[in-house]
Amino acid sequence: MALEWFMILLGWISVALFVIGSAYKMCKVATLPLNVRWEVYPVPHEEGERRHYGGSYMEEVDWAKKPRAGSRVAEFVEMGTEILLLPRVRKHNPYGIWLLSMAMHWGLYLGVALLGLFVIENLVAFPALGILTNVLGLVACALGTMGAFGLAVKRATDRNLNLYTAPIDYFNLLLIAAIFVLGLASWAMTGSFAPHQAYIGSVLTFKPTALPLLVSLTFLLFELFMIYMPFSKLIHYFAKYFTYHSQLWDDAFKTKGSPTDKRVTEQLAYTPAWSAPHVVPGKSWLEQAETPFIESEKK
Amino acid sequence: MNEPKIIRLNDIARAGDEPLVALTRDDLMEIPQLADTPELQLPQARWLNRYDFSLDGFSDFEMPKPQTKEEEDRLVNGFLSGLQKLFDPQSNWTFAKIFRLSMDYCVRCQTCSEACHTYIGSGRQEIYRPTYRSEALRRIYQRYFTPSGKLLGSFVGADVELNAKTVWRLLELSYRCNLCRRCAQVCPVGVDNALIAREIRKLFSQEMGIAPGELLKKGTRQQLKAGSSTGMNSAAFKNLVEFIEDDILAKTGKKTKMPIDQKGADILLIHNAGEFMAWLENPAAFAILFDAAGISWTLSSEAQGYDGVNYGAWFDDIELARIALRQVSIAKELGVKKIVVGECGHAHKALCVLADRVLAGDLSLSEIPRESCFPLLWDIVKSGAVKFDPNKNDFPVTLHDSCNVVRLMGIVAPQREIVKAICKQPLREMTPHGVWNYCCGGGSGFAIMNSLNFDQWRKNVSGRMKVKQVLDAFSDVLDPGINKYVIAACSNCKGALRDAIGHYGLWDKYHITYGGLVDLMVNAMVDLPQPYIDLNKES
Repeated sequence: MALEWFMILLGWISVALFVIGSAYKMCKVATLPLNVRWEVYPVPHEEGERRHYGGSYMEEVDWAKKPRAGSRVAEFVEMGTEILLLPRVRKHNPYGIWLLSMAMHWGLYLGVALLGLFVIENLVAFPALGILTNVLGLVACALGTMGAFGLAVKRATDRNLNLYTAPIDYFNLLLIAAIFVLGLASWAMTGSFAPHQAYIGSVLTFKPTALPLLVSLTFLLFELFMIYMPFSKLIHYFAKYFTYHSQLWDDAFKTKGSPTDKRVTEQLAYTPAWSAPHVVPGKSWLEQAETPFIESEKK
Repeated sequence: MNEPKIIRLNDIARAGDEPLVALTRDDLMEIPQLADTPELQLPQARWLNRYDFSLDGFSDFEMPKPQTKEEEDRLVNGFLSGLQKLFDPQSNWTFAKIFRLSMDYCVRCQTCSEACHTYIGSGRQEIYRPTYRSEALRRIYQRYFTPSGKLLGSFVGADVELNAKTVWRLLELSYRCNLCRRCAQVCPVGVDNALIAREIRKLFSQEMGIAPGELLKKGTRQQLKAGSSTGMNSAAFKNLVEFIEDDILAKTGKKTKMPIDQKGADILLIHNAGEFMAWLENPAAFAILFDAAGISWTLSSEAQGYDGVNYGAWFDDIELARIALRQVSIAKELGVKKIVVGECGHAHKALCVLADRVLAGDLSLSEIPRESCFPLLWDIVKSGAVKFDPNKNDFPVTLHDSCNVVRLMGIVAPQREIVKAICKQPLREMTPHGVWNYCCGGGSGFAIMNSLNFDQWRKNVSGRMKVKQVLDAFSDVLDPGINKYVIAACSNCKGALRDAIGHYGLWDKYHITYGGLVDLMVNAMVDLPQPYIDLNKES
């Protein structure tokens, strides 16, 4: 009984730590100062043809006085396509990782969908869901295993990749592969995902349920993975939001008195601690900029 | 082509003066149209004891090697102190967020490698891969500053040794990237290895005052002191403008006034001052066109107001802010409606994009707009105010895109529309072009970095891809009996192309020359009695 209770508690704790850890990491990035503009074209929210050839509003005379058209939806379409199909990897990566990467990512996406199905199955009784669960679970585990294990092998055998691969990268990939392998093994042992669904039910209802060992191991590893994920590179999916929106696509110009202008004014009052001779000690960014040449040569 | 040597990340810390790679012509990417490309010149023997060539046998830094343990420690400690400040929100608010994202979330998939013209041009030498310098820096950061790195060491990759050689080679490596950001364009996570290269440059400049002499001492410092990075002061500038006016009269028969310090003009036109020194015909062409189109414009004779360059864009945020503040304040004092940037790519980006969130209140873009010259030039063509005859430009033309103008500002179509309107033959686009273009090899300051043997590296490695692209664009008209023109509407690009044309003998072999877009426009003006561009001689 102690093990069953431990698994229920770990289920909740892992979700809580995943949410708190992810929120903490996101807040840490989001609360950093507003960066200068550093966009790269094409920018998907540009209007019409410009979106495709990489044009911008700066192609027009007097753009500051003209209203801007464009589509935020296009940004989400571009981001969604990148997340689901990894087109940049497909087009530009010459080391044959696209299919493996797609397999691993889709293994994870379908794995998350499978967890969702387990929750639904515990809330509504609908026999057809059982078939869907089996198909989804098997496809997720097969893709995840092939993808993660394949990527680990690829990294180990391709010189272009292994020079840059640290042991932790293999650890991450093999950890993911192990979760999917255990998922497959536990399914093979019981012939269905019913025990897995039962476990999710026990977590949701706080009613301990006896589970086959392999099912417990599958969830144990998965829940440890959830706790670990926010503190690893594996959380790059949220970093992508910031790199795309705060950097590559952030092309909005600043108007006087706008919130951005106020934020910049605040940041110009920061005092940089750099030590080079041309940096005047103790002066704010604005004062540094206003410092006459002679004074910045004195040090 | 030789097989590239395997270089590991930890090799960056290797002791001794032997370069990590010793490049020869046979290591580099082949250029099919050029059977014999020049051999690379090694450093002079007299330099070897004094300067450090231990990265790849090339350097721009006339800075003596550390001679004592104390000097080495000073270098290492300065580096660590600067590295910490790159992550400090107060010291580096300008880039802290996006630098941290690029440092923390690279998944090492190497998708960026094949986007880099330097990596490919070098024959895929490991040290020029966009991720090599980034990963070395990342591992040093992990080792010295993160709990996981301190606790788990090489398991998490925190295994690059930090010594004076590592620091020196990282400094050199930060000047083996043109900051063209083609790598960022293809990264599935949005990681920006060019930004990391720029941050390394900034660390050295802002913490230790170390930067190529052409960029800091004879660059931003000189611009702030004398008024221009060329050393030209206000009086010399005014004299030069008078000379250009005389030259225009002699060349075109037109009496053209180049207004200076005209209060209340619509436009303050800012050129790269290098144009006044090396390519006078370019500011002259602007004057001829603006005069013919009836545009209200002025130049400024105030220090920094007649030089649009801002080398801070490549290596130092504090210098960037100082110069941008001066330039925009001058426009404000003149009471112009906007600043228009001439044919200079990095001045475009510095004034129109980077300075946007460095200047506040009355100096915001909404108050003093900063615009590219290309939309305005296209407006002149569209308006019909000036008549052009495409028959006057009846020769093969290709267009080199400045990375700063296309990839980093999205100004792609106006240049092409202009060429379509003023040239007889269709534009021969390079492959790839527009926002997917390759850098000329001179970007981020390389075009003006000529100390020690750095120019050898630029001409042979970073500029190699552009030479191949130019030759490919003209592949069916390579006959030297046909004069060909490469449009390079950016001062640094022009400088890099000028050097490449000379280095590879492209004029002698194929009669390929180069020049600005505005020069080509004036060449097509109906009411000009003789050609403005002399295609029968090497530019």
